[in-house]
Amino acid sequence: MLDRLREPWSDQRAERTLGALACLVLIAIVLMIVFVAVRAWPSFHHNGLAWFSGRGDIDQQIGVQVNTGANPTRADYTIGAWPLIWGTILTTGFAVVIGVAFSVLTAIFIVEFAPGPLRRLIVPVVRLLAAVPSVIYGLIGILVLVPFVTNHLVGEGRKESVQYVINLSGTGLLVSVVILTVMITPIMIAIIVDALYAVPRGWKEGAVALGVNRWRAMWTVSVRAARPAIIAGAVLACARALGEAIMLSMVSGSKGFAPNPADGITFIFEPLRPLASTIVEDAESLNAPAVQATVYSFALLLLASSFFLSIAAWIAKQSMRKYGVR
Amino acid sequence: MSRRLRLLGVSAIVAGVAGAAIPATASAVPVITMSGSTSVAPLASLLAKGYLKQYPGRVKFKLAQGGSDVGVADVAAGRVSIGNSSRDAKSSDPGGLVFNKIAKDAICIVTNPNNKLPNLSQSQIQAIFSGQVRNWSDIPGATATGSINLIVRTAASGTQDAFQKIFMGSSNVFSGASAKASNGLVQSTVKSDPNAIGYVSQDFVPGTHAVSYQGVGCTLATAKSGEYGGVRNFWMVTRGHPRPASPLQKFIHWAQVSSRAQKIVATHWVPLK
Repeated sequence: MLDRLREPWSDQRAERTLGALACLVLIAIVLMIVFVAVRAWPSFHHNGLAWFSGRGDIDQQIGVQVNTGANPTRADYTIGAWPLIWGTILTTGFAVVIGVAFSVLTAIFIVEFAPGPLRRLIVPVVRLLAAVPSVIYGLIGILVLVPFVTNHLVGEGRKESVQYVINLSGTGLLVSVVILTVMITPIMIAIIVDALYAVPRGWKEGAVALGVNRWRAMWTVSVRAARPAIIAGAVLACARALGEAIMLSMVSGSKGFAPNPADGITFIFEPLRPLASTIVEDAESLNAPAVQATVYSFALLLLASSFFLSIAAWIAKQSMRKYGVR
Repeated sequence: MSRRLRLLGVSAIVAGVAGAAIPATASAVPVITMSGSTSVAPLASLLAKGYLKQYPGRVKFKLAQGGSDVGVADVAAGRVSIGNSSRDAKSSDPGGLVFNKIAKDAICIVTNPNNKLPNLSQSQIQAIFSGQVRNWSDIPGATATGSINLIVRTAASGTQDAFQKIFMGSSNVFSGASAKASNGLVQSTVKSDPNAIGYVSQDFVPGTHAVSYQGVGCTLATAKSGEYGGVRNFWMVTRGHPRPASPLQKFIHWAQVSSRAQKIVATHWVPLK
């Protein structure tokens, strides 16, 4: 039997086998989405559009769902997920924006301005950082950053100004964004560096021949040409940040609280909890039907947001197509 | 690869798989799996060790945690043989469960060792944990200054249920409190934060300062004598009554009546007799 597999494959056989494998992947993804949507349906059915609003303390709502156990009533399915959605938007948004800015500038330095020995050191180190498991960043966060913020940055006056609303400790938005940025930046740097190297030399040489200095040539020619890659890197980093669950549950303060920008600087110290961290923390009570519907509805929202992210990236790249940029 | 080499490889894999499978089937010692309360977990682990010391090789134990609600749900679904619970049976629990009482335990209100609060009355505890009083300067006897950091438990915890029933009554816990998933996490947070106050099972007090409740200190002696007001039951929940003479029934009976088990319970908890 093995001899039959070893004879050279015809094009037809290769096409059918590889096509079957590709379809298998497609079917798996569709099945996954359908499974999550079916389990999440009760939560959306009982809440309607109010699911997306903030209707009170979400931790207390989930607590009620855990305590009702096996026989929830209709009212037990009540959930207002806005604090978690806002927490996810804040952490992911800040991390990606700061990360993109940082990555582009670092990539320009690596490609154009770094002396040879420094470049040969930085590039492997960046690629190594991109491979570090995220839990290690979480450990460094709780062991180093959180005590630093608790003891030196959050003063008594700040804690007392919000004490009737929320407990302030070191864990919160600031530490989450810092660590998430450090986590997603290396992969963006690697992608943008590769894209900058791929810009045709003639384009840059043309700019320099016109009398423009190296920084302006990089900024106006190479970075503009690498915009699709910057968007691709940003989307990849955004997807990684959206899915980051355990690291953020360690450093974000783990409270279903919507940080209030009107608090001024205190806003960055307030605790929060993104969607993925909530899923991880409530996963052990998954047998209670109301908790199951709620957790799967969060999962469906995360799946939908990945989908919308891809569409947004596609739209952004469409506007660049007229310049002939890949 | 030559035919001999291939045959050798396949027979090695088959021998390896068979070698791994045979001990698993030949041992066939009954396994008692437990999950649930983080408060009951230290006692459950000591009881398991004591049982195996008295009757070696009779059963094997596997211990998990997760909180009392997780234990009750797991045993109702048949995922474990015993669900450990530190809260009493609720009307919302699945049907067909039998709650076997094995011990009693005190819940202590704890503060940081640098903030030795002498005493708290029930109304003071309700005012603090419901968020009415937010500053240590408003509590007589507190040496800490600044805002009170409330450390409570998550929803799946039996300790949280017992705390709500015994200490809070009808008041709700402040929504801005930090919720932790286990007694150990509350203990370590209160140890490290000078402004923290929380509640733990009595076994988790070392390293923190236990506050007296209504004039009575939170110690094993006062819990055993009945003076301390914050005492709750520990249960081992099973799905229906265990079959007579089954390993499960023998273990639970041993835990409830044997003198060795009572001695183990008496080290840190309140025995039934």
